[in-house]
Amino acid sequence: MPKSHINEASVKKLSELARIRLNDEEVRSLLPDIQKIVDYVGLLDEVDTSDLSPYAHMPEQSIHTLRDDVPETAISQKELLENAPDHIGSMIRVPQVLTNTPSS
Amino acid sequence: MHTQTARSLHNAFLKNELSAVAITTHFLKRIEKIDGEVGAYLTVFNERALKKAEQLDKKRQEGKTLGKLAAVPIALKDNIHVKGETTTCASKFLTNYKAPFDATVTRLLEQEDAILLGKTNLDEFAMGSSNENSALQKTCNPWHLDCVPGGSSGGSSAAVASGLCAISFGSDTGGSIRQPAALCGIVGLKPTYGRVSRYGLVAFGSSLDQIGPMAHSVEDIALVMEAIAKHDPKDATSLTRHTEEYLGSLALSLEGKKIGVPYDFLSNLGSEAKGNFETALENLKELGATLVPIDLNLLNYAVATYYIIATAEASTNLARFDGIRYGIRSKEAKTLQEVYEFSKHDGYGQEVKKRILLGTYVLASGYQDAYYRKATQVRVKIIDAYEKAFEACDIIATPTSPLPCFPMGAIQDPLQMYQQDTYTIGANLARLPAISVPSGFNPEGKPFGLQLTGARNEDALVVSCANAYEKKAPLTPNLPPRYAD
Repeated sequence: MPKSHINEASVKKLSELARIRLNDEEVRSLLPDIQKIVDYVGLLDEVDTSDLSPYAHMPEQSIHTLRDDVPETAISQKELLENAPDHIGSMIRVPQVLTNTPSS
Repeated sequence: MHTQTARSLHNAFLKNELSAVAITTHFLKRIEKIDGEVGAYLTVFNERALKKAEQLDKKRQEGKTLGKLAAVPIALKDNIHVKGETTTCASKFLTNYKAPFDATVTRLLEQEDAILLGKTNLDEFAMGSSNENSALQKTCNPWHLDCVPGGSSGGSSAAVASGLCAISFGSDTGGSIRQPAALCGIVGLKPTYGRVSRYGLVAFGSSLDQIGPMAHSVEDIALVMEAIAKHDPKDATSLTRHTEEYLGSLALSLEGKKIGVPYDFLSNLGSEAKGNFETALENLKELGATLVPIDLNLLNYAVATYYIIATAEASTNLARFDGIRYGIRSKEAKTLQEVYEFSKHDGYGQEVKKRILLGTYVLASGYQDAYYRKATQVRVKIIDAYEKAFEACDIIATPTSPLPCFPMGAIQDPLQMYQQDTYTIGANLARLPAISVPSGFNPEGKPFGLQLTGARNEDALVVSCANAYEKKAPLTPNLPPRYAD
């Protein structure tokens, strides 16, 4: 297991990957607990798993059954849109995604 | 009425001794009177519950067939959907979210004529062992108001313990039904993974999550399991095997049963919990069971394994809360990226952020093999250790929790908090049925729980063993004196 050193920069990086904006103070307040937990879970190094296939996950299939592919009535668009923070007509509205960049 | 079991309320209703409206009104009035100090409920369905009760009284009068749970007042953890009602997960992210569909459990309960009283508090997104991570409300332990009710299904355990419903539902990812049940002096069952449909439960750790019931008596757990332990095509992990008879197996004797005890694994138990556990073992012996030492030392790695797998699964499951389709959206966000980042920043509490970051870390490229894969392999070893143990015994006995209820704010260290689940996590990793049944009090009057774990699919055996134990050593008193009348 690679030795992991978690610092403020790595917490910041994780927050970017997880799409959670954190200010510097929030990063500092989360850091000690995250360090502690990462160190703790390193405990698993003590368990010898060399006898297991690297693909050993679960002893049996987790998915027991699949449904037949039959159309059924789903939740209406109207009901789903009621939970959307912002919508126009039948569409969810979000800020502009693409910016106008001059073509070269 | 709140001192009666669900089954006796149901029977009184069937025999025309009590009306559904009288039962419902009694519980709604109690909630109004008491829940201000307990804080168990986030939402109370006053109108909905009374309407259902009126329908039931009419149905009875007309001689129509009544459901298995007719007139039983039930509360649901607020991460289980009830169509048209809010599902907040005790998070600021979802305070205005209205469920567009019923969870399968909700549908089955309504089909069996239960009366849904409301939704109960929890640690935000079911992440915690004390209910202190709820972003919306504080819940007190009905036995000691300055103490936590346990978690994450702490609102559900407090509601039953203070007589604010007859049965409640929780979800259990690492002990979230059993630990609060133990801390509140009630019974809580985590069924075999897949035994109860998870459709309509907000996902936390999908390979670990399981919905289950909490009640004052084991008999009530059996009653409700008969209604909800059903295959569901809407949950691909739902078991197809036949539902066992739960009420029918209650009379089973412990005579000749082998109870496995992982003595080595339990060697760190504190003296109070140890004394309580030893008394419980004596009771099991007096019931005719034989105690067998078993080796579950691998469970010393259960908490570490769990905090890799559960956070990894949580980080993917909670990605859906993006501020686009539901939940809050930050007003400050100017770009799409900022909608995600600011909404998650504003919506999630500290513990949820911490676990998502940890899950992101253990799944990150370069670390995934070292953490996530390693944890899934240790999980396989833990499953093997249980299977070996069950070759030598029928049921495994441990304490449910290392500590009885503790004062709010007393545990600040995250690792110490996570250790509260040290005896419960194994059943989630190995997908086994496990029940917590009250096993007496410490000198301060704080309840303890005995945990009985069975092999996969042995839910009915677990319930019947707990029933034998409960009949032999019932919790006395079984309601906190403050809420007894």
